[in-house]
Amino acid sequence: MSRSSALARLAAAYAAHEVRRRSGRGGGRTTASAFETRYARDGLRPLTADERGGLPAMSGCINCGLCALVAGRPGGVRPADLATAYLRDYPLLAAAASDLGPGASMEAAAAACPVGVPLAEVSAAVRRLSG
Amino acid sequence: MSAPSNHDVIVIGGGVTGAGVARDLALRGVSVLLLEKGDWGAGTSGASSWMIHGGPRYLEFDWDTTRLSCEDAGHIVRIARHLVHRCVFLLPVLPGDRHGLERLETAMEVYDRFQPLKLAQPHARLDATQARLLEPGLAPDVLGVVTMEEWGVDPHRLVWANVLDAVRHGARAANHSRVTGLIRAAGAVIGVNYQAADGTRVEARARVVVNAAGPWVPEVAAMADAQVRLRPAKGIHLVYDRRLSNFAISGESIDGRDLLLVPHGPITVVGTTDDDFYGDLDDVGVAEDEVSYLLQGMARVFPAIRDHRPVRATAGVRPTLFAWRRYEDDLSRRFQVLDHGSGLVTIAGGKLSMYRLMAEQTADVACARLGVEARSSSSSRPLPGAEAELADPAELAREHHLPALAVARLQARHGGEAPDLLRESGARGRLVCRCEPLAEAELVHAARHEQVRTLADGFRRVGLAAGPCAGAACVERAAAILGRELDWSDSQRRQAVGEFLAGAWRGRAALLGQSGWAQEELAYGARRGWPTS
Repeated sequence: MSRSSALARLAAAYAAHEVRRRSGRGGGRTTASAFETRYARDGLRPLTADERGGLPAMSGCINCGLCALVAGRPGGVRPADLATAYLRDYPLLAAAASDLGPGASMEAAAAACPVGVPLAEVSAAVRRLSG
Repeated sequence: MSAPSNHDVIVIGGGVTGAGVARDLALRGVSVLLLEKGDWGAGTSGASSWMIHGGPRYLEFDWDTTRLSCEDAGHIVRIARHLVHRCVFLLPVLPGDRHGLERLETAMEVYDRFQPLKLAQPHARLDATQARLLEPGLAPDVLGVVTMEEWGVDPHRLVWANVLDAVRHGARAANHSRVTGLIRAAGAVIGVNYQAADGTRVEARARVVVNAAGPWVPEVAAMADAQVRLRPAKGIHLVYDRRLSNFAISGESIDGRDLLLVPHGPITVVGTTDDDFYGDLDDVGVAEDEVSYLLQGMARVFPAIRDHRPVRATAGVRPTLFAWRRYEDDLSRRFQVLDHGSGLVTIAGGKLSMYRLMAEQTADVACARLGVEARSSSSSRPLPGAEAELADPAELAREHHLPALAVARLQARHGGEAPDLLRESGARGRLVCRCEPLAEAELVHAARHEQVRTLADGFRRVGLAAGPCAGAACVERAAAILGRELDWSDSQRRQAVGEFLAGAWRGRAALLGQSGWAQEELAYGARRGWPTS
């Protein structure tokens, strides 16, 4: 198929699209929640506005380990692991939910963090996305 | 010089096409030797956008390429189901964009006709408010979004799965084995000379030699005094250490080219550039202005990208078929199988999402020369790991004292073969790296069974040092494990670490702003003497 033929077919499709739209027979709009439901099986859940805004700070862990000294390793997972390993691959978090033990004192861990990673928010985001 | 080995076919080039040719032939019962001068998938395949996509862009040029891409993408999704993941694209429209929402939706309506071929769903359309609920990082002036589905794949694992399947069906495959010349007799190509991984010089004979060397195709063809013309095009990608979004996002560069931000597993890939390339194919670097070009284009639709720092950049060269005068982006992604009539067959052009079809057609030509009548079965026979259903990661994790996240990551690479791998290695409960996270069992398996010979091979095969630490927390430990498996001396281990860190540095150099340089200096000081080579 030549380029002119491809463009002609696209033009015809565009004309048909416009006729449908102007006659009110165009495709409907999807909502974010319907879209989320459609891709829930693939683990493709959107970040919330708060998570989006906080993600740069939540990504700043330097893995020094101070947080683990303060908060321990609930369920074998260090607070730093939540930031460096878990808050990366969101679609896999459901499969890894069994790693997440009872909540530790993330506020205390965050207070010990020398680079200001908001570990309580990290923990909340990981738990929401794994649910 | 060792005694020559004899084969029906020798395939030169261990990218996805060469590996696919070897597999296709081996499945037909043909004896194959596959040679790769570096590591599997270390060239163009590994530097791709990690997409098995149907090519909606080609709807403006050539619907046949779109149809062929979608058909073959469907085959790949079926035979490599554990390696692929659904990528849902948001295609935002901003004021002044080349295509408004209606034109864009029209294109997706047309593309929907092809989507079932690759097991993908039709498009959707969202207004600006709903679009920003899905991705709050989109530009505030976005007018709306049309969506599109594609498939992502780890190209390194896809290449290795093809190599492994070829080997399981009788092929021999050797990485770090550079072809130094073709053996010719009475004008015919009858074999190759190559330098094996251990430095020995080896002669191998075959009735057909397949040149599947990607951008190096002209170089190999010239060894037989044949000419193949390509128009090599360089493409770079930026890699982030996490998913910046759960959705892929399309953008537009300042010169109107399509750009993509695509989450793959735990990373995000942003690309790509497309520039004529005239340099050394073995030394393709990344320039700071290329990085700025990509960031500028993506930040227009997704300003949040400026809040994150890429951890590395990749560069590769596409083996595009030659054409004069056209703008790089307008070049066809079609491929050609060239029978030089001398026992040499070349496969040139194409793209990752059509690799299996390219391999099948190349194998058809080789089989015609050999008189082999067996037909290709590579579109229906599952790749290793795709046969069995995945085990419950939490259960496997309990059994092997590993985090379920590490097991789930391992399953994404090995599919249904994960339980056997974990049982075999004996490295129970240990992680090489916490941030990736990589089980020691997987690295041991890679050294024993996946031809991992360097730390960089480990990066490609099992994601070694691919996480936020970029090796700082794990490369020494990984070197100790590989050294134990591969019988490295202390100096070999130190050299391996130095080479890996120097290579990682080359991937980061173009990305460092002022603060990045300070961190590099700190790391340099902490390592006392790095880089050593």
